[in-house]
Parts: sequence; structure tokens; C-alpha cells
Amino acid sequence: MGSGFSMNRQTAFWALLGPPLLFVGIFFIVPLLNLFWVSLHGASSNELFGSDLTGENYYRILTDSFYHTIIVRTLWAGMSIMLLCLVIGYATAYVIAPLPPRTRLIMLLLLVAPLMVSNVIRAYGWIAILGRQGVVNSMLRSTGLIDGPLLLLNSFEAVAFGLMTILLPYMVVSIVNALNAIDRQYIEAAQSLKANPVRTFIYVIWPLSSPGVASGILLVFLLTLSAYVTITLLGGPRMKLLVSLVFDSVSGFRWPLAAALSFALLALALMVAGLILALLRPGRVQGRG
Amino acid sequence: MRAILIALTTFAYVVVLLPILIVVVTAFSSSEFFAFPPKGFSLRWFDAFFASEPLRGAFIRSLQIATISSILATGLGTMASIAIARRKGTLFNLIQGMFLAPLIFPAIVLGLSLLIFYKSIGGVPDFLGLVIAHSVLGLPFVVRSVTSSLLAVDPALEEAGQSLKASPIDVFIFIITPLIWPGMLAGGIFAFILSLGELNTALFLTGPGVTTLPIEIFSYLQFQGGQLVIAAASAIQVFMIIAIVLIAERLIGLKRIVRSD
Repeated sequence: MGSGFSMNRQTAFWALLGPPLLFVGIFFIVPLLNLFWVSLHGASSNELFGSDLTGENYYRILTDSFYHTIIVRTLWAGMSIMLLCLVIGYATAYVIAPLPPRTRLIMLLLLVAPLMVSNVIRAYGWIAILGRQGVVNSMLRSTGLIDGPLLLLNSFEAVAFGLMTILLPYMVVSIVNALNAIDRQYIEAAQSLKANPVRTFIYVIWPLSSPGVASGILLVFLLTLSAYVTITLLGGPRMKLLVSLVFDSVSGFRWPLAAALSFALLALALMVAGLILALLRPGRVQGRG
Repeated sequence: MRAILIALTTFAYVVVLLPILIVVVTAFSSSEFFAFPPKGFSLRWFDAFFASEPLRGAFIRSLQIATISSILATGLGTMASIAIARRKGTLFNLIQGMFLAPLIFPAIVLGLSLLIFYKSIGGVPDFLGLVIAHSVLGLPFVVRSVTSSLLAVDPALEEAGQSLKASPIDVFIFIITPLIWPGMLAGGIFAFILSLGELNTALFLTGPGVTTLPIEIFSYLQFQGGQLVIAAASAIQVFMIIAIVLIAERLIGLKRIVRSD
């Protein structure tokens, strides 16, 4: 019950939670519901969307072979990038994790600081290195190894490689944190039972680091899905992934289709996230205390 | 085995750091076109950057948007964290999940949903629209770092304040705030940096004459090629981030910078 002029705990609680809750509700949840509503309509020439409810946008995405090609390519790109990041990132984390704390922090900072630099700048760096007039081509030409420039950009491989380098730090940080959380006694126990390093890795270190692996590859896959700018700059106009189609539909003012493609992207994100969590089951490690 | 691990680690550092390094070095080139190593040293492209009205305008606008949105995110995120940090139960987990969701939510979908939402309610000025989007994106960083600061605060301190008849507001200002300000600062700095480089929502929400620096760089690269003035623009962003990291190291320590990625 209200206690006169003094603010009681309940009022304080709602006064604190109210504004952020409203903010996120109005500018995150409501726009998302609105987007779904828009996706259920046909196109209109003068409005944002037509007047009749229809599932035709989703039907088109599910049945048109053009969309299938792009969705498969998107999944393929995501998987290649995840796998590359996993192998290189795990090796890096494995080297960094046992270092003395101060050295480890500095080594991690060297990887985390680039994450703060805009992706457009990091993609630009790869254009400067791999482009027609780029570092690689001019070096090869000055040594006389090639006559004309090699075309290293505008391909699936360029996008996968570029995004791998941009997202790799997320993987390393996740796995380093997981490796450092492992109780050294488990590893010593395995060694005292005469397990060789490979067996120790497979049966002790890998399972215990799986939460870090899961969060790392999840983050890498989800960020790949949104990476329109990197995909466009390194892949060129023809290397399109699902996110490029969202953007193309917006450029063509086909709002309902763009909305439906966004939900196709979200569905893909949810399915892959579910699969990763089901396969790696990071939760089983949590009770390690 | 050890050799392979070291080789992969070296490879990782090279591919992560080299692109940024190349861009920064070429920004100081004195030649007209891209060449590596640069032919000579000059600051001409930095002059050209500040002389270009669209680039300078985008740079200043990016700073304004990052400042306002990070302050907004820090305020709202701190309020939310204090309200729910120690609460348990499905409802509060759900609310906290909602605040943290933009961290992994595909930002391109957030950008499109906000664009259509703004249009549906009759239009929002581009600048305000960007500030709102970047606040939504910055909020989870603040909630995460302030919540972990709050969980480290001994609840007995708060109870001591209450038993001395301090009002909730006094408890907040004189007891909680001094203990959690490093968390607030860390979250705010991350929200600021995120806004400064953000592309996925800005792609949809920038308008004619109202762009941010990353979007300006993107359209240069896409339509006019990698002119060296763009290298200068990028180098300025990199130097700002180095400066922010150095200041943050003094204020909140290396550990917080590395952990709240």
C-alpha cells in the first residue's frame, strides 16, 4: 500500500524498470511485430503494403528455386566461416590461454581492439590487399611472376575468408574464457592416469571447453547472417547471400517481401542456433562448480 | 603439433591486424593513388578529409550520435540492471533476455523493422532514428557490465543504508552508484564504440544528407573506389579507438576491456 510521500520499494522498482522496458518495447518488440504484420501482405504501389492478408511472400521464398540457391549458399558460407574460425580460433586460444595473465590480456587486447574498428574499414583493408591494384598483385607483378592482375576478390572464397578474419576474435575470446575456466586438476588427473595428450584433449579439454565453442560459433554464424557490407564489398554485385536479398527488396520498395525475407533470416538463425546447442550441449558443463 | 599451433596463431594475428595496419599506413601516403608501400609521407589526405564537407559532416554526426546514444543506453541500461539484477524467476529472466537480445539478434532485421516502424508512424527525423537504433544496440552492453558489477556489490551495504532510513534514491546515489560506476563506464564506452562503427541499422536509417562516417566510407568504396581520402577517414577512426582503449585502460582496467567484448 502507498505510504504517503516516501517512495516505497515497489514504486522505486517500477520507476527504474518502466522507462527501459518501455524503450525496448516500443523500439525493438513493437517494430518486430509490425515487421511480421507487413510480411503477411502483398505489395502496394503507393502504400507500404497492400490491404489483403496473404502468405504469398513466404510461399514464394519456400518454393522459388532462386531463393533456395541463395539460402543454401548462405548456410554454406556460414558453415565454412564457422569451421575456419573454429580451427584457427581454437588453436590460437589454446596457445594464448596458458600464458601469464598480463601477457594473455595483451594478446587478447590485440584481437579484441580490431573488433571495435568498423567492419567497413576492415573490409577496405582486404580490398587494399587483394584488389586489382592491391598489395598482393603489385608484389607479384614487380617480381614478374604474373602479367595481368589476379582476380582475388568478388568471389565466395573472398567473402568467406574476409568474414573469417573479421569474426575470428569472437571465437578466440569465447574459447580462451572457457579454457581458463577448466580446473587444472582435471587435466592433471587425466595425465596421472597415463592419458596421452590427444586422449586428454578429446576426453577432457574439448568437452569442458564446449560452452566456449558453442558461444563462439553461434556468434560467428549470427554475425555472418547480417554482414551485408562485408559481403557486398568482398563478394561484388553477383555474390549474394540472404541478407543481400533483404537489402535489394528494400531498394526496390518491396517492403512486404523484404519483411518476409527478414523472417526467413531469423528462422535460419534460430534453426542453426538450436542445432549448435543440441550438438554441443554446453549446458552439461555448467554444473562443474 | 606445437609448430602447427604456433603457425595457426601467427596466421590469426596477421589476418586480424594486417588489413587495419595497411589502411592506416596508406592514409599517410603522398601519392595520388594507392600504392604499397606508400611512395612518400604526407598528411595531404587528412587535409582532404577535413576539407570535404560530406566526410567531415558525417564524422561529426557519427560522434554526436555515438555520444547521445551511449548516454541514453547507459542511463536506461543502469536503471534496468538495478531493477532486475538480483531478481529471480521466469518473468525476470524473460525481461533480462529481452534487454540482452540485441547482442545476438541479426542487426539487419532490427534496422529494417525500425525503418518500417518509423514510416508507419508518419516518419522520424533521420538523426533521431539513428540515435534510437544505436541506443537499442548499446543497451545490452550496459546491462551486461552493470549487472555483473551489481552482483559483486555486497547486499548488506544496501540493507545498512535502508536500516539507517535512507530513501531508495539516497541508497542509489550514495551507496550503489560509487560501487557500480566502472561497470556503467565500461558499458557506456562499448555502446559509444559500437555506435561509431555501426553499419547494419545505419544502412537503412541514414538518409540523404544525414549519413554516418562508416556509411559514407561504404558508399565511397562501392561507387567511387578506394580513394586515399577514405584511408584517412578510416585511420582517424582507428586512432580514436586506440585513444579510447588507452583511456579506458586507465579508468576501468584491461581486464574489463577484454572481457566485455
